[in-house]
Amino acid sequence: MIDVRPVLFVNGFLMLVLAAAMGIPAVVDLLSGDVDWRVFGIAGMVTAFVALAQIFGARPKGRASLTSRQAFMLTVLAWVSTAAFAALPFIFSNLRLHLTDAVFEAMSGLTTTGATVIVGLDYAPKGILLWRSLLNWLGGEGIIIMAVVILPLLRIGGMQVFHMESSDKTDRIKPRITQVATSITLVYLAFTALAAMAFWAAGMGRFDAMCHALSAVSTGGFSTSDANLAHWGTAVQWVAIVAMMVGGSSFTLWIGPWKNWRPPVLDDAQTHWYLMFIGGFAGLLALWQWTVNDMSPGVALRHAAFSVTSVVTTTGFVSTDYGAWGGFARVVFFVLVFIGGCTGSAAGGVKIFRWELLFALAGIHLKRLLHPHGVFVIHYNQRTIPSSVLDSVLGFVVMYFFTFALFALALTVVGVDFITALSGSASALANVGPGLGDIIGPMGSYRSLPELAKWILAGEMLLGRLELFTVAVLFSRSYWRE
Amino acid sequence: MIDLRPVFQVIGVLLCLLAGAMVMPALLDLRDNQPEWQVFAVSAGLTLFFGLLLLLGTRTTQRRRSIRQTYLAASFGWLVPGLFAALPMIYGPLQLSFTDAAFEAISGLTTTGASVIHGLDNLPRGLLLWRVLLNWLGGLGVIAMAVAVLPDLAIGGMQMFRLEVPGPAERATSRANRIATVILGAYAGVTGGLALALWMAGMTGFEALAHAMSTISTGGFSTSDASIGHFNSAAIEVIISFGMVIGGLPFLLFFQMSRGNAKAMLRDGQLRWYFGLMALGIVGVTLWLVGSRGLAPLDALRHGAFTVASVMTGTGLFTLEYGQWGGMPAAILFFLAFVGGCAGSTTGGIKVFRFQFLFADALVQMRRLLRPHAVLIPTFNRRPIPEEVLGSVMGFLFVYALSFAMLAMALAFLGLDFITALTGAASALANLGPGLGSEIGAGGSYAALPDAAKWLLAGGMLFGRVEMFVILVLFVPAFWRQ
Repeated sequence: MIDVRPVLFVNGFLMLVLAAAMGIPAVVDLLSGDVDWRVFGIAGMVTAFVALAQIFGARPKGRASLTSRQAFMLTVLAWVSTAAFAALPFIFSNLRLHLTDAVFEAMSGLTTTGATVIVGLDYAPKGILLWRSLLNWLGGEGIIIMAVVILPLLRIGGMQVFHMESSDKTDRIKPRITQVATSITLVYLAFTALAAMAFWAAGMGRFDAMCHALSAVSTGGFSTSDANLAHWGTAVQWVAIVAMMVGGSSFTLWIGPWKNWRPPVLDDAQTHWYLMFIGGFAGLLALWQWTVNDMSPGVALRHAAFSVTSVVTTTGFVSTDYGAWGGFARVVFFVLVFIGGCTGSAAGGVKIFRWELLFALAGIHLKRLLHPHGVFVIHYNQRTIPSSVLDSVLGFVVMYFFTFALFALALTVVGVDFITALSGSASALANVGPGLGDIIGPMGSYRSLPELAKWILAGEMLLGRLELFTVAVLFSRSYWRE
Repeated sequence: MIDLRPVFQVIGVLLCLLAGAMVMPALLDLRDNQPEWQVFAVSAGLTLFFGLLLLLGTRTTQRRRSIRQTYLAASFGWLVPGLFAALPMIYGPLQLSFTDAAFEAISGLTTTGASVIHGLDNLPRGLLLWRVLLNWLGGLGVIAMAVAVLPDLAIGGMQMFRLEVPGPAERATSRANRIATVILGAYAGVTGGLALALWMAGMTGFEALAHAMSTISTGGFSTSDASIGHFNSAAIEVIISFGMVIGGLPFLLFFQMSRGNAKAMLRDGQLRWYFGLMALGIVGVTLWLVGSRGLAPLDALRHGAFTVASVMTGTGLFTLEYGQWGGMPAAILFFLAFVGGCAGSTTGGIKVFRFQFLFADALVQMRRLLRPHAVLIPTFNRRPIPEEVLGSVMGFLFVYALSFAMLAMALAFLGLDFITALTGAASALANLGPGLGSEIGAGGSYAALPDAAKWLLAGGMLFGRVEMFVILVLFVPAFWRQ
């Protein structure tokens, strides 16, 4: 049997962070005279209590250290338990959400998905609005740390490539884990502050600017208005595009040493593809909107760039109802959901570097057809990719599509229509947010879905966020055998 | 420069065969006193002329084909006969445009079964026979390719199905001849058996033969606009369901059975997956038909089994117009269309064995996460799957997904709506036939699509039929360099 004490111990600290975070909306509500402050206060105290109980109840004797099995359990437990407690304020606040809705909203927030069941955001108390954005932000921070520190160690889906980078002494990336985590957090904080200031300068109110900065850099997608970013003007939307792009880029690369004022992120193969994808599809859709749907060029470019960035970075902000752009746009957005951002970012999806490796693999297969006995090697960022990494990437992508199909089927079984199920499943797995169709489209809401569908989607968000294998491994027999 | 003469030789032989096949509808029309027999006769003469021209004009002493010549022969061996097969449709009473005729012919020859012709019930019998003959010949070509060509080319993991090295007692050529004889015999025998059974179940002799041909080849052309629904007979539906399931079996099995190795069939993991997946689909669709459409359980089972077998094997015959079903059955059918049948069958799609490889690999991945240093090897039918085979399969899957996405986007760009574009692309690549939705769903027709979309779809059918890489490799610059 696995020793769960170290797992609970670390989990306690994570929940303590969550409890502390609940203090912020409590203060905001108190200042703006809303009665919800008590809800946040009590929820914070409950969470803190449970957290402390775990910390003291499961305190290990020496230094806490985790085996890989415990690490798997911790990642899953941490996301589930924080989501459960993060749902408390939603249940007891004036919104009076059901348990299902509250858990869905909290899970959607923490996994930086941004799918919402709440309608009437414009009149909701500030505390709740801030809490949603905070969940996005904390979730984003959690996922970046996880992607940089934990997943490479566990060798999930080819992430060991990035492990090699950070353990390589001569490489530009700082080797020590705590140091890396701290600097990434600082960068993350700095970007959030910058985004908030930019939003404010572009004409948002201070509170709205803060909330949107939190959910843009974390590629979360919660907004403070039902109309989402369509509520604000051109300048705000351009700021959001930049903020989302930064959120979807590789954070490990921002902390490397800059050469001649050039951050290393610009010299990365993944970044190049990432920008090419966004640029290419934004251009294509802008052209489509301009020529076919008679949008004026400037507006078309802004909306196309916004929507493509939002989907590729898996943010889920909406500047206009792109679901109404016609069949071509819908197919493109459906496909884009599977792309995802860069590794080491807050974005979800398959991730660009895996597509790059797959592309290289298909190319090699093609070459091998002509030269059956040739030896071919895949290079990525000027280094050779060992076949074990390729194997993990393949395993991941296969599992990703299996999961997508399985959950889409499950959604249709509980009574969701074809388009909603297909796009909802893809969107939840990639942590995007909006899907396609009349119900969960860019201007829709997940509110009217059946209860079971909400649970299915919440589960899928978690699966996608934890890169599938972290969760799947808990269900394998050999995990529980000694 | 590649020596093209052997390639022309192959195409010449195929054209001569095609010309021979054209004689049959000519004779039938002559007997029916249809003036159309002249069209077939002239087309046959023309095809024979070009066939002989190629055959005799490029005689060469060289017996063996190089890899490159095989690729060229495999690609153009489908395309050129497809174009010649369109001749009778252009100049017949239908007066189809060149695009429509080519679409119909390629759809027939690739055993897709997507049709642009409406009013089948009143067509002269010669043309109906020609359509199903194309299905039948195409099916034979697919099996020949899957057994003899693709494994040697190592396309997408097919190298696992290389015929075992014959023992010293028998010579390789005699064995290949025996295999060809057995398979051809089995194919013709099953066709005859099916025709007989259908005739006894109440079809006319002509209808029975036509449907037997398009069933065993998983083609899907019918003699009526309402497909099998026209006959409204349980016996016919059950017989055709069985025929389609047989069409999705690996035909090499018949060879093994002929050598008294019947147990090999039971131990074949591929068959178990094939039947398992099909059964799951049938259960799902049947339950939905009972629950949502209020069919009696036995009727539901009959229609459910027929539909699922038809979609999974890529046949495309139908009893109910399932294009409008929506929700769960739509999702089941949509995903099953990607699965396809077994290797070495007449079906299209990704094929069951590839999913098995990938699944085996994913399981190994999961175990490897827990035991990083263990040596774990995925197996298929108790044989280890070599690394490069997994690479090929993955390359195949990636290219399949990519072509699906590109084709869907291109179709949507031409103005097709979301569902039509998505399911049309999936259906063409998998050589299925009908899609979902009101336009190209079962009972609908491809006639109203724009011409460019028809060409794209026909290209998709060819691309899917030759397992993509055969065509893709022609576009590698190294292919043409010496």
